[in-house]
Amino acid sequence: MIKQRGAAIVGVFVLALSAHVFGQWITYPTPNVPRLPDGQPNLKAPAPRQADGKPDFIGFWQPDRQRECTPDLASRVRLAQPCEPGKTVMVQNGPASVPGGLPLQPWAAELAKKRAAELSKDDPHPRCQPDNYPRVYWLPHFTKMFFVPGELLMLNEWNAEFRQVYTDGRSFPEFMHPIYSGYSIGKWDGDTFVVTTKGFRDDQWLDTPGNPITDAATTTERITRPNFGTLNIQVTVDDPKAYTKPFTIDMNMKIMIDTQMIEEFCLENERDSARLSAPTGGK
Amino acid sequence: MRTLAAATLAGLLFGAVPAIAHHSFAAEYDANKPIKLTGTVSKIEWTNPHCYFYIDVKNADGKVDTWALELGNPNALLRNGWTPNSVKIGDEVTVEGTRAKDGTNLGNARTMILASTGRRLFAGSSQTTNP
Repeated sequence: MIKQRGAAIVGVFVLALSAHVFGQWITYPTPNVPRLPDGQPNLKAPAPRQADGKPDFIGFWQPDRQRECTPDLASRVRLAQPCEPGKTVMVQNGPASVPGGLPLQPWAAELAKKRAAELSKDDPHPRCQPDNYPRVYWLPHFTKMFFVPGELLMLNEWNAEFRQVYTDGRSFPEFMHPIYSGYSIGKWDGDTFVVTTKGFRDDQWLDTPGNPITDAATTTERITRPNFGTLNIQVTVDDPKAYTKPFTIDMNMKIMIDTQMIEEFCLENERDSARLSAPTGGK
Repeated sequence: MRTLAAATLAGLLFGAVPAIAHHSFAAEYDANKPIKLTGTVSKIEWTNPHCYFYIDVKNADGKVDTWALELGNPNALLRNGWTPNSVKIGDEVTVEGTRAKDGTNLGNARTMILASTGRRLFAGSSQTTNP
């Protein structure tokens, strides 16, 4: 029993534990997982489909920095180690994965340099401020996705954040009061779900090093599910206020099986922010 | 099964669920100040965004220092094999990690070894995933 259950989590996370643990919801078995003959989850199985035949993104997802080493990978993603064909390779995370670096406007480069020199001490994330999609994708806080009529919903454990991507044919509102993750509209392009987002709050952090995203940004995400265990998300950020040209972050998410969302409220016992300091000791 | 868990838990799980990089590690901890402490657990805060374990450690003068040790959040620990009973008040543990830059008795824990069983528990440190 234990061996079988442990196998079910291989490739996602492995819990080599006593049966006691499986009494918790956080390790509750996920239904409808395709299996190999030996009972292990078949993460390479075809992606599930919705009733209309479109891919279903249902699942609980975490960022995955392990990629298949394909000939074109290095042209799309900055590698963290040498790539050997046929094997997996560790890649950089989020904006740091953009080959050639980010095309920052001079003021934005200066700001990012200052934030890096200060060791990101003013990052809003550890201060429990809300995050934004797309940043949430490359933070280690996990997103549950599922389609419902008229929208794709994303729920994140961290501070119970949510995102709505409307698929009901609506246009962007005339007035978009700025919000952290903006306003999102999704459309299918074959089996690729294309999400366009506008209406971001100004001067947000795109990542922990402190690269900015501004209220001038439009992001376009092209999301596919190449197999049961993987989402590929290609986020193009077009933010002429902070960047000289658009750039694309190409990342994978991997599914988390036999677990479920549990609330994770940052303000419960946050103590780090008062202790974060730059090398000079400045708060 | 328990033997397997004791021997390999940290290795199996380390790369599976990412450590919670809640904040810039270098802004709070000094990677050049590794710590290894053995003491008795005196208080546990099973909270977000980090769990804290407090341990009483006998210093060179024979007096007792209380250290606060920051771990990952509850979800990360549970998904990496912890249960609320994995380590209890009164347990003797050895913790490896990194000391805070401010020189206080605060550390970021990488692993926690339970003396009674030798079980090594991955502590959800943010050191490996964040600058």
